[in-house]
Amino acid sequence: MYRIRLHGRGGQGIKTAGRMLGSAFFLSGWEVQDATVYGAERRGAPVYAYVRADHGPIHERGVIRDPDLVAVVDESLVGIPSAGVLQGLAGRGLLFILSTTPAALWQQRLNLPDRVLTLAPPAGAPPIGTLCVGAAARLTGVIDEAALVAAIRQELAGMPAAVVERNLDWARRAYAELAPHAGRVVEGGSGTAVGYAAPDWVDLPLEPAETAAPAIHAALTSLRVPTGLWRTLRPVIDYDRCNRCWWVCSEYCPDGAITVAADGTPRIDYEHCKGCLICVAQCPPHAISAIPETEATNP
Amino acid sequence: MNETAFKRLKDLPSQRLLGTGTPLCAGCGGLEALHQIYDILGGRSVFVNAAGCMTLLAVYPFTPFRGAWLYTAMAGAPAGAQGVRDALDLLLAKGRLPPAEDLTVVALTGDGVAYGMGLSATSSAIERGLDFLYIVYDNEGYGNTGQQYSEATPLGAKTATSLRGFAGRKKDLFAIWTAHRPAYAATVIGAEPLDLARKLEKALSLKGPRLLLALAPCPTGWDFDPKDTVEVGRLAVRTGVWPLKEYVDGKVTHTRLPHPRLPVEDYLRTQGRFRHLFEPVRDEALLARIQAQVDDYWAGVT
Ligand SMILES: Cc1ncc(C[n+]2csc(CCOP(=O)(O)OP(=O)(O)O)c2C)c(N)n1
Ligand code: SF4
Ligand code: SF4
Ligand code: SF4
Ligand SMILES: [Mg+2]
Repeated sequence: MYRIRLHGRGGQGIKTAGRMLGSAFFLSGWEVQDATVYGAERRGAPVYAYVRADHGPIHERGVIRDPDLVAVVDESLVGIPSAGVLQGLAGRGLLFILSTTPAALWQQRLNLPDRVLTLAPPAGAPPIGTLCVGAAARLTGVIDEAALVAAIRQELAGMPAAVVERNLDWARRAYAELAPHAGRVVEGGSGTAVGYAAPDWVDLPLEPAETAAPAIHAALTSLRVPTGLWRTLRPVIDYDRCNRCWWVCSEYCPDGAITVAADGTPRIDYEHCKGCLICVAQCPPHAISAIPETEATNP
Repeated sequence: MNETAFKRLKDLPSQRLLGTGTPLCAGCGGLEALHQIYDILGGRSVFVNAAGCMTLLAVYPFTPFRGAWLYTAMAGAPAGAQGVRDALDLLLAKGRLPPAEDLTVVALTGDGVAYGMGLSATSSAIERGLDFLYIVYDNEGYGNTGQQYSEATPLGAKTATSLRGFAGRKKDLFAIWTAHRPAYAATVIGAEPLDLARKLEKALSLKGPRLLLALAPCPTGWDFDPKDTVEVGRLAVRTGVWPLKEYVDGKVTHTRLPHPRLPVEDYLRTQGRFRHLFEPVRDEALLARIQAQVDDYWAGVT
């Protein structure tokens, strides 16, 4: 059985990518299971999809913990433990990352010798799930281009023709670029009930209503949620150009992530700033610029 | 009240009272308006929140509020607000709550509730003269479930259930409210924080049913880049698509007269949900109909 996880952020087409890859397997004669995992969070938050493909019925359920392939759309997620990108990669499994950083460097950083492959997104392509679908299809070596194309057309039915063509182009390019690595992903064994080790489930018995739907007796507990991890671009204020007109940036920031000091100086709370860049767009003297999160030095 | 505490932008509160770390989308126009409201309203409030994106604000054990918040079924927020108000009134009457510690009761819902499912409960709450503030964040669809069309979806907008563009017309909730003769009703938008602050200030100085109806540019549901939320909101006002107005003492006053009024196209072009009006070919007939709706509205404004 193939077990594949696709990681990205809300808005990068991860759910659709999971469906595309699942359909591509299915059209190639495999039995398939695919699902997406996301919390209550929205666009920008880490999400992943997983796909299982086997020669017969699949009885295994739940998230994939021992993947044969992990494909990552958004490289900034690799270093975020809660995104779980590296989960289950300790022993075997291949890691594919859309990144301009050479694979060798990732292998060294992550201590995964020979097990990281990268692809620089083609010019004009955003970090998008379709690229990973093309790559994953080639890396399995069992999906031909016709099945890949048919699956993408099927999953994007109803989208404008230009969108479909663009996605097909991206998938085909990734498929072509990874030709030298065709078949690199090795199928794991098909799980059986015998020898199945139950995961560490958290047991949730039926509880009285006041426990099951508890009241929160504290204020502002959301401050504990580090939504700053959603960011791919970081707004940075150049204080030499800043006019101290906090009623622009701080007022417009939907998240209240720009605090105002007594002298009117705005400060961005990077723990929570989600990187929408409204402040960058609205700052009258253009004192806020956006830099890639991967290049930011921590405050 | 003639004197406003909000004469200039500098008079807006500089302290952020609503907590960070909420699960709402980056660039959410509804959250932008809500934090602006909460900065003024503060924690001496009870929010009664019907199902929608904003219910995610307070998911156990996390809350961005300093005060109380409770969740109701979709149609039930005004009824929930009634229950909370009644409970507070009982405590006040029994002397168990000092008048100085009374709380403002707020219903917070999306447009799906305010324009549709919750309208019956709203109508009766206004009829009973319930002392509450109703905040609507209008993202023109059922955002939380994937942006299906609602009764607030405008003509031509693509949603998950109107793939070729919504054929109906946006309901006029402001008119429905004012027909009930409430204490106060106003339209607002996060892109105009001073206008919003003055209206909230007025609403808080009154008692009875009060409405703040905020257009909530929604990058996810309307398909635009999150950085453009303020710009999209500003264009909604400058093209006359979202009239800023208030109702007090039986009289409607427009608080912004867009002049010159920009063509609606300038607004529509900013959003993917209207892309089919321009590509692959311009839908001249529909564009003209949308412009005519807006022109008709303003022709009636004296
Ligand atoms: C009676 C009922 N029907 C359907 C739902 C599912 N549901 C949850 S949120 C939602 C959309 C609400 O739309 P709106 O009020 O505009 O808020 P938004 O999601 O846009 O924030 C729906 C349909 C529900 N919770 N209750
Ligand atoms: S809007 Fe720009 S100039 Fe004004 S306070 Fe913010 S960062 Fe400074
Ligand atoms: S990018 Fe700017 S406006 Fe957006 S959340 Fe961060 S600080 Fe706020
Ligand atoms: S879907 Fe729209 S309204 Fe809902 S949280 Fe996201 S941006 Fe806000
Ligand atoms: Mg809505």
